Amino acid sequence: MSAPIVAIRSLSKIYAQGEIQVTALHEISLDISAGEFLALMGPSGSGKSTLLHIIAGIDRPTRGECRVQEVDVTKLNESALADWRNQNVGFVFQTFNLIPVLTAFENVELPLLLTQLPARRRRELVTTALELVGLADRRRHLPRQLSGGQEQRVAIARALVTDPKLIVADEPTGNLDHQSAEDVLGILKELSSTAGKTVIMVTHDPRAAAFGSRNVHLEKGELTK
Amino acid sequence: MTTVSFIAKNALRNKRRALLTILSVAVSLFLFVTLLVALRELTMPPEDIGASLRIAVRNKVSIASPLPARQLATIEQIPGVETVTPFTFFGGKFKNDESVGFAQFAIDPTKLMTIFGEAKIPADQLDAWIKDRASCIVGRDTALRYKLKVGDRISLIGTLWPCDLDLKIAGIYSGTLDDRNMWFHHKYLDDALGGESGKVGTWWVKARSAEDVPRVVDAINAAFANTSAEVRAETERAFQMSFVSMWGNIKGFISSICSVVVFTLVLVTASTMSMAIRERFRELAVLKALGFRRRELFAFILAESFGLALIGAILGAGGAWLFYSTTNIAKLTGGVFPFFEVTPKILGVAFLVAALLGIIASLAPAIAAARMSVVEGLKTLD
Repeated sequence: MSAPIVAIRSLSKIYAQGEIQVTALHEISLDISAGEFLALMGPSGSGKSTLLHIIAGIDRPTRGECRVQEVDVTKLNESALADWRNQNVGFVFQTFNLIPVLTAFENVELPLLLTQLPARRRRELVTTALELVGLADRRRHLPRQLSGGQEQRVAIARALVTDPKLIVADEPTGNLDHQSAEDVLGILKELSSTAGKTVIMVTHDPRAAAFGSRNVHLEKGELTK
Repeated sequence: MTTVSFIAKNALRNKRRALLTILSVAVSLFLFVTLLVALRELTMPPEDIGASLRIAVRNKVSIASPLPARQLATIEQIPGVETVTPFTFFGGKFKNDESVGFAQFAIDPTKLMTIFGEAKIPADQLDAWIKDRASCIVGRDTALRYKLKVGDRISLIGTLWPCDLDLKIAGIYSGTLDDRNMWFHHKYLDDALGGESGKVGTWWVKARSAEDVPRVVDAINAAFANTSAEVRAETERAFQMSFVSMWGNIKGFISSICSVVVFTLVLVTASTMSMAIRERFRELAVLKALGFRRRELFAFILAESFGLALIGAILGAGGAWLFYSTTNIAKLTGGVFPFFEVTPKILGVAFLVAALLGIIASLAPAIAAARMSVVEGLKTLD
């Protein structure tokens, strides 16, 4: 069996609120294989988003180890972590988080501005990413000119454009109607099964979790199954 | 998309706010440049080439107190003196003017071209003036203002001296820094005062060389020390500055207004930039998540603020330069500011202020954005 793409060991996260300490994650250990579509489930405040943020390198644990593709992201400094995120992680957020003054094309191109790729190559990659999510014809549209489902598909194209191994999605269907949610989940599943991307999705919706190849439950900062 | 176009789109995302910010910078810098030009003109009057050799000699007690005409011979004997002329301000009112509309000076006409060599006047007109004691020459600007021409008669009502003058215009000169003055024979003034008055307003001396100037100044001051009419000799620059000092600390006054303008501008721009960045914290957090580093976000915000300030500077300082280059400020100010030149140095100061403004205004929001954690930023409400 190949080594897991994500290996978490004894991971804890404690927030200090004045003199009170709140444990968000407690001694979590988890392996995630390459190409897996993992659904992280649990009630609000269970720590699932915190775990996702640590895996994605936008938050740091209080203690423990989180290795992604053999790199312990908890040990990287701020600048190295930013580079690592750009090259290895694609983000999909619940509220899409597109830049309102940029077109769909420009939003997708944004992570590529950090690379040394020439403009022509960037255009090719953006076009391919938009075609993959079925929005090549909406490239010149601003976010406000798109539906919620289309905005989320643009966000997925943005997550894909740097060809990361890992895609993290935080409640990606939380703001979508049923049909749009199905479309988005279908794309994520396709990315996992066909393109070999590892997708980690936080959700509290069992119907969304059903698209995952494995479900993991968190409750009060601990894995329950 | 390029990084520059990304910054431009962000800077102009709220067009009304961007426009108002640019206009506030532009208007403030227009005022700033105006004040600097006024300050320069008041405290550093422009000089012509001959100014470095000219020395003004006035009564030590007050410029309003005349000097005895007998001092001429003593000054002429001082080593390093090339020539000397009496130079008396008449201060007459012309026609229906309510006040003195232009300055009139009584001098020795034979010394004009030696002391004020930059004056251009046809040789025949100069010759006619020198020969006719009751004639005068007027500057081109005054001739144009009052539609005067050679051969016209000009009557002046004395305000300082107890006599009126009736003069014939023998010539019209130009080429000096201030072509508004009128010059006439000092002997004619003496005659008008009832024969040899024996008094002059000031002496103007031309030294043989720049090296002679300090020696001549000291020698003239020493020559009349402990006499009934002690003098104060000084360079033309120092003489002009003594007039400025009569107005009090005008430099400090205008400088303080400039400081208030710049300080207010910093507050306005900093407030605008803070608002613009605070409402984009979530987007900045997304950029961080995508891999943009602190220094890149810092640079984006800095460039945005700098760009707005620069556009404001181009409109404000550039506009001031254009306006004052194409408008007759001397006419607008009644001759108080005859030149009002926006010099390259003043433009440079204005652009430097704009650059610093852009940097200072963006510092607080840029630091806040750089320090913000991605998770905290993502929690920010749109």
